[in-house]
Amino acid sequence: MTPQKTNWSRSPRIGVPGALKWTAIASLAILSTIETPYSAHAGEIRAVFAAKPVKGIVRDENGQPLANVTVTVKGTTRGTTTDEAGNFTIDAEPGDVLVFSSIGTDQLQQKVGKGDHILITLNKKDKSLDEVVVVGYGQAKSTATAVGNIDMVSSKQLQEKPVADVFDAVQGRVPGLSILSSTGEPSGQVSIALNGIGSLTADVTPLIVLDGVQVQLGTLLQMNPNDIADITVLKDAASTSIYGARAANGVVMVTTKKGVPGRDNITLRTQYGASNIADTKYFKQFMNSDELANFQVAQFNSGFGGGYSQDTINAIRARYGNVNTEWWKYYYKRNSPVFQQDLVFSGGTSKTQYYIDGSWLKDQGIAYRSEFNRYTIRANITSKVTDWATVGVQLGGGYSVNQTNPSGSNSTNRGLFFLAAPYYSPINPATGQEYTYIPGWNHYNPKYRADNLPNPLNQIQLNPTGFLEIRPIKGLTFRSTAGLDGYDYRNENITIPSLVFNNNSGSTYEEFDRETKMTINNTLEYQFKIKDQHTITALAGQEYIDDKYSYFNASSAGQSDGRLTLLQNGTQQLAVNSDASEYNYISYFGRLSYSFRDKYNIDLALRNDASSRFGANVRNALFGSAGLMWWAKKESFLSGVKWLTDLQVRASLGSQGNSSIGNYQSLPLVGTNTYNGSNGYYISAPGDPNLTWEKVLTGMIGAQFTLFDRAHFDVSYFNKHTKDMLVGVPYAYTSGFANVTQNVGTLLNQGLDAKVNIDVVKTRKLLISPFFTATYVKEKVTSLFEGLDHYVLPGYGFAWIVGKPVMYVDPIFAGVDPQNGKPMWYAPGTDPMKTNKDPKNVVEGEENFDGDLLQQNTGHKLNPPFFGGFGVDATWKGFALSIQFAFYSHKIIINNDEYFYANPRLFFPNNQSKSVQNYWKQPGDKTQYPGFETQTWTEFDSRLEEDASFMRMKIATLSYNLPHSILDKTKVIKDVKLYVTGRNLLTFTKYPGVDPEVNSNLELGSYPNTKQIVGGLDITF
Amino acid sequence: MNSTKIKLAIGAISLVTMTSCSKNLLNLNPPDSIALGQSFQTVQDAETWDGGLYASLRGASYGGYIMAPDIQADQLNATIDYGNNYGGIHTWQGFTAGDYEISGEWSAYYAALANVNAAIAGLPTIQTTSTSDAAIVNECLGDAYLMRAYYYHKLVLRWAKAYDPASSSSDPGVPLVLKYDVTALPARATVSDVYKQILSDISTARVLLDGIEPLADDRTTFTQDAVLALEARVKLCMQDWTGAKAAADSVISTGNYPLITNQSDYTSYWANDDVSESIFQLNVSPTNEQPNAENMYMNYGVANNDYDPNYMPTQWMVDLYDNADIRKSAYLLNAQITLSGGATYTNVWLVGKFPGNPALQSAPAPQSNYRNAPKIFRVAEDYLISAEAAVQAGNAGAAIAPLNALRTARGIAALGAVTMQDVMDERTRELAFEGFRLDDLKRWNLGFTRNNPQNTAMLVGGANYLGQTQAAGAQKFVWGLPTNDITINHNLVQNPGW
Repeated sequence: MTPQKTNWSRSPRIGVPGALKWTAIASLAILSTIETPYSAHAGEIRAVFAAKPVKGIVRDENGQPLANVTVTVKGTTRGTTTDEAGNFTIDAEPGDVLVFSSIGTDQLQQKVGKGDHILITLNKKDKSLDEVVVVGYGQAKSTATAVGNIDMVSSKQLQEKPVADVFDAVQGRVPGLSILSSTGEPSGQVSIALNGIGSLTADVTPLIVLDGVQVQLGTLLQMNPNDIADITVLKDAASTSIYGARAANGVVMVTTKKGVPGRDNITLRTQYGASNIADTKYFKQFMNSDELANFQVAQFNSGFGGGYSQDTINAIRARYGNVNTEWWKYYYKRNSPVFQQDLVFSGGTSKTQYYIDGSWLKDQGIAYRSEFNRYTIRANITSKVTDWATVGVQLGGGYSVNQTNPSGSNSTNRGLFFLAAPYYSPINPATGQEYTYIPGWNHYNPKYRADNLPNPLNQIQLNPTGFLEIRPIKGLTFRSTAGLDGYDYRNENITIPSLVFNNNSGSTYEEFDRETKMTINNTLEYQFKIKDQHTITALAGQEYIDDKYSYFNASSAGQSDGRLTLLQNGTQQLAVNSDASEYNYISYFGRLSYSFRDKYNIDLALRNDASSRFGANVRNALFGSAGLMWWAKKESFLSGVKWLTDLQVRASLGSQGNSSIGNYQSLPLVGTNTYNGSNGYYISAPGDPNLTWEKVLTGMIGAQFTLFDRAHFDVSYFNKHTKDMLVGVPYAYTSGFANVTQNVGTLLNQGLDAKVNIDVVKTRKLLISPFFTATYVKEKVTSLFEGLDHYVLPGYGFAWIVGKPVMYVDPIFAGVDPQNGKPMWYAPGTDPMKTNKDPKNVVEGEENFDGDLLQQNTGHKLNPPFFGGFGVDATWKGFALSIQFAFYSHKIIINNDEYFYANPRLFFPNNQSKSVQNYWKQPGDKTQYPGFETQTWTEFDSRLEEDASFMRMKIATLSYNLPHSILDKTKVIKDVKLYVTGRNLLTFTKYPGVDPEVNSNLELGSYPNTKQIVGGLDITF
Repeated sequence: MNSTKIKLAIGAISLVTMTSCSKNLLNLNPPDSIALGQSFQTVQDAETWDGGLYASLRGASYGGYIMAPDIQADQLNATIDYGNNYGGIHTWQGFTAGDYEISGEWSAYYAALANVNAAIAGLPTIQTTSTSDAAIVNECLGDAYLMRAYYYHKLVLRWAKAYDPASSSSDPGVPLVLKYDVTALPARATVSDVYKQILSDISTARVLLDGIEPLADDRTTFTQDAVLALEARVKLCMQDWTGAKAAADSVISTGNYPLITNQSDYTSYWANDDVSESIFQLNVSPTNEQPNAENMYMNYGVANNDYDPNYMPTQWMVDLYDNADIRKSAYLLNAQITLSGGATYTNVWLVGKFPGNPALQSAPAPQSNYRNAPKIFRVAEDYLISAEAAVQAGNAGAAIAPLNALRTARGIAALGAVTMQDVMDERTRELAFEGFRLDDLKRWNLGFTRNNPQNTAMLVGGANYLGQTQAAGAQKFVWGLPTNDITINHNLVQNPGW
């Protein structure tokens, strides 16, 4: 089947998670002013004698148990943390000093007395000075005094979700961050964008930085999400400009876990569950056997062609046993298993910490030839070699084996399976067995295809990074980080020779790809204080990134034995191919931070980047930013305002770049083809020697405040102005090229990000804390190319219009004329980029339909302007409940499937939607569809632009921690957690297509998103 | 503080080591390409450019390039399994200037022309040191000129009114792009100017390819005969009956291309891409030189051991062939088909002219990928041109010899006298499904009714399908300029009706 327009997916969009900055984060941090057991000078282990278990409980000022509080014996390496109920046990002797510390609380020291039970109350702080965030190069900063707009999501929100891609769990958590999952394929990847779609055609995925090294978005799919300590989203110029190049779309920093000194644990996590189609509403809309038969008889009797006579349809139905097959149950599996297991060893001393994890994920998709098996290992080790040198490595490795269903889009082997008439049967009535080849429908059984056309993929992922930190004198830190983001990818495509439809002739295709992205950066940072009031930090650095990609593949055909399917077993059509590609960046940067009593904070950053992707004379670009944070609550005039617990105000302005295009596009090139067995030349790329950076000027102002110590708000306004956009500028075909990548046009994205978190109930036993995030983006194209005031992308159904957001453009359907049953469309006005719906000026009849002449602005935006999420986190005794919804509003997609399921004449004798029964029969009928006289019932017009706004319950988790009173008796088991998690359990949408979450202008044969219910058990020894 | 100095030194050394990145690292070139400016240096470069131009031509031949105009015309009906493939163009409804059939063909020809123009400018800059080298470069240059003439003729046939001596100097033709310039926004040249350019390029090619003779077993490059074949075709369209006939007769009289007279050779000529009647056909090979597929006509399935076509010839088309005509079983396949719903029909006629060259596929016949070597110039066309030019010039007597030569070779009776209808019927028969019919109807200023289908139970009903009728000169006989170019190039004027 050929659709009238081709699917055009946007490049992956960006997004990442960030948790509320004011919630405690389950990682450890240290108050810089207090000596701690694992600080530089307390590392000596001394002999311990006569130590005995001391037990206690830690609560906050409200009596609420505090989990994850670090408890250490001062001057030793011994340490532990409190459990969910606030309990701890530690070996100490009377006279020892216990140090209690936690993110978001004051630190406390307590001497051990004669009694062996201690009750501690730690005061929660409004703003945790000890919560740190890495803001790009150099030392971590306290989140409290960070100048940039930063969001953070902790491991608590990322862990133990039944999905391979960690970002899926973040949907709806971070304001401004759009995360959409377009497919239910287990190895599918989300698309992410931050604060609007910042470029018309260049990639808008944020820069992803894993442990200080830039990686691809896909790298995270090859990692165990449980290894991630936190994900930090840098949004504004103040925080991103230091990344200059490619920071235009924001920066997402992913940090993996570290061992905790004195807390040597073994954790075994197991999770098992099942996947199903998230929302089956779509699959139930097709006609059953009686409906389709009656409809086809009516079509026949209309005399306009097509349809079956009553006798014919009776004979057909009898031939296949008068069945009513629900084909979706045949093309999709139910209760596909999902399984994950982790084994973690972590801990360490004040000198050396380790975190070692192995994991195994198995996710069987709901379609055939769709599965993801992932094995990962990670070892993070940090050691303070001397009092002035620290070295660390993070070694991540993964191996995945998967298959992806190839029959999407307009394939009738899955994507458009609904065309199968329900009166055909997959089961042979004579034998009760499934057919290999389904008669009538004339398609091979999908299981049979899966067994005989395997296309296994596998990938070895390697992400080693290492750093060296030297502090020769007080305040001066030299840090060198080097890392690799590399993978080897193998793909096989085999046609088993015995496959019936290939008539005993097999084929084999083998592909080998390798990509390595090497990063080396060096920074020198000096921090000093003047009179204890002025803190100044200066940083200078340099970075080099080199990305090499290469592949080769080989194929052969003619294999004749299903047991011998290697390349050399095929005697025909031997072919080989290879190619390679490389790009690199050389960058220099600096940052100057100034803080006056934490009250006034200023950051200045400057970065120069040179990229091999751009023209030789224009490949350098300078980016810079200035940011200001005013901690207003610190002002004396606010200290007395009791209801205002906290207030911070931020403003920043700066520039970043985007270079997310292919390599070598500035060069005019000649490539090769083959003729008569020899090479031939052809002009493969026109090139543009002036190709340079896309630049974004980002301004942001915002405030964070807390009211009555319960309600936390974070609101910011952003203004992103993109210029010199990297656009595949359309050229007249007479030039020889359809488009040439150039710097043209300008785009404006303005909007609001907001986040609210309210502790509704905060008592000793019960904590209920709902949250809400929302983003509104106003997009406006401000200039184009060639002096055009608009450009309709041919075949894509949308247009770039100066002064407007990217808008859908299609003929607007004006209904069916009740008098004659003919379809009608509104005639466009003089400016087709303005919606013109004049009922007196319509074009009637399909013979007058011309998609080019009738197209006009339909008033629908391509990019959804409003999205966010909400949910609640609650705890009661050992129980914890977390529910997270995500929503998108005013989201519109072209439902290309509808063209196939609402066109009974064009696609006779295939099955159709029940809705087509509402067609015109006689004058006066008011109907959705025209009469049988009309050939094309559904044109590519505004009817296909469907409202895909949706709300989805992304995550719902209920967990229970076994009380320590029971566990302590085992003497071995420290923690046991039982939980049930559901993903995508509820979907609310009006969208009639497969899945509203598809992130594209057009949806065709999508693999529906899945829902999972899993049960899990974590045991810590 | 000796130790401090040591520590600082370690840091400084590391820093220096790791920052010693050279600016040269930023000058990267892809391994699969070379700079355009460096591609015209040696004789080998000339040959490589030459091969590239042929490869582009292979990519812009057969497949949709011949199926689309044939499906638009009157020889084919859509089966109920056609799945809306070529639906717009077949029904003439919803067939718009944005459609791929139009933009794909237009853009492929102009992309090829960009390369041709680059070669025409670059080849003469190659320094040669021997006469044999100079001859090679000249031949490559001749190929480029002939190819430019060929593409512009294709373009002017599809996107402009038929050549009319009375109005051609004002009828809009197609933009003439003669230099490689990505930024140019050319206006349409007149039909007359386009044809003048075509003739000029043919003249240039004639000189450069003079003495280039065909090989007995290889017709994959241009020869002096190919120049004549194109000249005959172009001059027939220009109503230059004398010139057309002279060129066609010259080709015939070379004796290089005897007509096939027996069934097995003729069937093999199409199925196995033999070369005997071909003045020029493109090279194909199973790995890197696969031609486009004619995949709408057969669609064999192993499961039912029969066919499931998207388009079938009309009964009218089938009836054009006498049973004794060796073209009948070379062009048509009498077979069984099974359509959706499980209905099986026996003894129906399919287009069998492009059964797929077995050398281009691994699966055993009758499975096929329906790829055959594109036959760009066949000598049979020159017999038809010779006959038509004679009749059109009012000298029907001179048409008898060439037309009967073709007819008797194919196994049907010679005619005593030749009318224009005889010539048209013979042309339709001989060149069926090779993409000529729509252009011929336009040139003859004829309309059509898609009449007399095979069993309509197999076919999509409705007036736009079975009974499609178009008057002579209907606007969509001339395709619209692609929406893309109309949008971007304001110097272009769209054809009426689009």
